[in-house]
Amino acid sequence: MYLQWRLRILYTKILGALQTMPQDAAYRKYTEQIVNDRFEAVKTVSNVGKLEQKINGGQIEEVIAQAEFELSLARKMSEWKPWEPLIDEPPPNQWKWPI
Amino acid sequence: MAASLVRFVRGGLNKTLNLSRNAAFIQTRWETTTTETKPTVRPKDEVTHNRLSAFGEYVAEILPKYVQQVQVTCFDELEIMIHPDGIVPVLTFLRDHTNAQFRNMSDQTAVDIPTRPNRFEIVYNLLSLPFNSRIRVKTYTDELTPIDSSVSVHKASNWYEREIWDMYGVFFANHPDLRRILTDYGFEGHPFRKDFPLSGYVEVRYDDEVKRVVAEPVELSQEFRKFDLNSPWETFPAYREPKDAPKLEAGDKPPAK
Repeated sequence: MYLQWRLRILYTKILGALQTMPQDAAYRKYTEQIVNDRFEAVKTVSNVGKLEQKINGGQIEEVIAQAEFELSLARKMSEWKPWEPLIDEPPPNQWKWPI
Repeated sequence: MAASLVRFVRGGLNKTLNLSRNAAFIQTRWETTTTETKPTVRPKDEVTHNRLSAFGEYVAEILPKYVQQVQVTCFDELEIMIHPDGIVPVLTFLRDHTNAQFRNMSDQTAVDIPTRPNRFEIVYNLLSLPFNSRIRVKTYTDELTPIDSSVSVHKASNWYEREIWDMYGVFFANHPDLRRILTDYGFEGHPFRKDFPLSGYVEVRYDDEVKRVVAEPVELSQEFRKFDLNSPWETFPAYREPKDAPKLEAGDKPPAK
């Protein structure tokens, strides 16, 4: 039960961090989708083995690690604001290959 | 090796030697005369190609601020071209996002193309163990512009960035320990730059009089620095540009009556 409790806390925190982003940001949209799916699985399934199968993200410890990484990323993302338009176009022929 | 040399020198004089060689020849020829069923062309893997381009579009949609271009090469490698300001955000996103998980930096290097205004391309090769996939992130800089160090994201890039600094002279800002790593003490210049001469600037030898290794400027009797490298073959057939179709210009309109 401890693992599910920990996952619940992490997912609640991620969703809270995502609230600070604009509604139409692609990162918020996709991450909310992932987290909501997993949160739903954690709420409904109590058996750890079946939960692992349902989430399909590796062992439950790996799922916790992924949630921790996602949480730190979500907090950094609201500083970086990557949903804004492109900073600068590349110089002409920068990505042309062969030269 | 020695036997074949003997045979080559004596020609047909030594009959027994020739016979013994023929046995070996028959075997190799027999292998080559089997009819080829498979052509030596890499088969196209549409599934992998589509999966990679879908993931590339996913990354470009999430990070429109940094991603300039996404492409899948002809060998099914996903490449993401980013603005140099976005190195840390993009690499962190690829490492931490649940659908990416590129936690392993397998290689980092640079490419020098002197004809471009930003002559150095910095290339990051990442590996995702959970999804068994690789991705390549590319960005650019010139000789003077420092570029953000990725050591805060991947520890492995510490020595890679030292190597790039040593070989190309690209300066990495916020690197914890940016020293030379491969060249000798007192070495001048960056050897992997295209304008670095092939023979170098100095040569070293042991001097018996002063009892140590001395470095002297290179003296060459012949200039080895000029090569004719033009190949008669097409070097990049996979990157062939589409031929310009002759465009029909709109004819003069008949004057309205």
